Amino acid sequence: MTLLKSTLKGHTMPNQSFELDKLNKELFLVVPAYNEEKTVAKVVTKLCEMSYMVVVVDDGSHDKTYSIVKDLQEKYPKQISIYSHTINRGLGAALKTGLEASLRKGAKYMVTFDADCQHDPNDIDNVCKPLKLDEADVVLGDRNFDDMPLSKKISNQIMNFITLLFYGVKVNDSQSGLRAFNSKATQLLELNSRGYGVSSEIVREIKKNHLRFKEVPIKTIYTPYSISKGTNATIGIKILFKMIIDILKKF
Amino acid sequence: MIYQYLGVVIGILAVIIAIIRFRDGKTSSAMLIFWIAIWSVISLVSVFPETTTILANLFGIGRGLDLILILGIIASYYLVFKLYTMIEKLELEITELVRQIALNQEENETKKYINEDEDLEK
Repeated sequence: MTLLKSTLKGHTMPNQSFELDKLNKELFLVVPAYNEEKTVAKVVTKLCEMSYMVVVVDDGSHDKTYSIVKDLQEKYPKQISIYSHTINRGLGAALKTGLEASLRKGAKYMVTFDADCQHDPNDIDNVCKPLKLDEADVVLGDRNFDDMPLSKKISNQIMNFITLLFYGVKVNDSQSGLRAFNSKATQLLELNSRGYGVSSEIVREIKKNHLRFKEVPIKTIYTPYSISKGTNATIGIKILFKMIIDILKKF
Repeated sequence: MIYQYLGVVIGILAVIIAIIRFRDGKTSSAMLIFWIAIWSVISLVSVFPETTTILANLFGIGRGLDLILILGIIASYYLVFKLYTMIEKLELEITELVRQIALNQEENETKKYINEDEDLEK
């Protein structure tokens, strides 16, 4: 607590405010984290070092994710905001909280970034470029499927097909965790699904709101850890089931 | 026939329970009327089972019992679907609650720190 006070007090110091000028206050990174104690510190530190504003949403983790980020916040108090879901509500809910928080803090561009070290921070500039040039409202990171382990490749391809079947939008990578939105797009997104289904839902919202979207190739770093996370066949089936129910409900 | 008496007794008991629940303010008047109607029909059908055959013939189904079973299954499926959507709605509301708590909490904390910071400067 005292440490936090002193760091906060430090902001009025001239050299610190010089540092702050370099911060990119238009661009917010939304990092949803659920039980990511092994990787979250690495990802958030890296993003802070690159002087981005970081919004971490701890989605009811049972491990030390929250306290790890809280400690980091003392180091980068102006850059990190933490939002904590009391109970786990899924990726969709976490993204929604993060995006809304960024909007409230006056973000112009928002990038969602997974906490499991699978994205390359250098890709952030690439996905933001079309937004800054006003060529697109939403940018989806497009992972190279050839680098993917076979099981992931198949389940991702099935998800792309399902997204095409249900929402009529053909995308190369519907399940990518690295996406960028401008504030206009964020305000229009109506996301209801709580789990991984949110990725397909974003595609649906793009079509519904006639948003301009672009796909930008991104690098994916596969470690045994990041492979164990994310979409797999079981989650794919669950998402499919949910989509069918959603359509049935409309009748 | 024993089931006829059983049907009537269960029907009357259920209606009494519904009335007590209504009196205690646990159900709405609409639900009370709904349950009284349902249990009255069940009691009547127990006393006059042949009425179901007439109804069944109207729908083109041979036996009265078959009609009741079919209706029962349809009603159960409807109920399951209804429950599913209700739970879905609850889940959405919980999510919204958790999200709003998270958003407000962070904003309150930031405010608190800024205030403390200002106090220190004074």
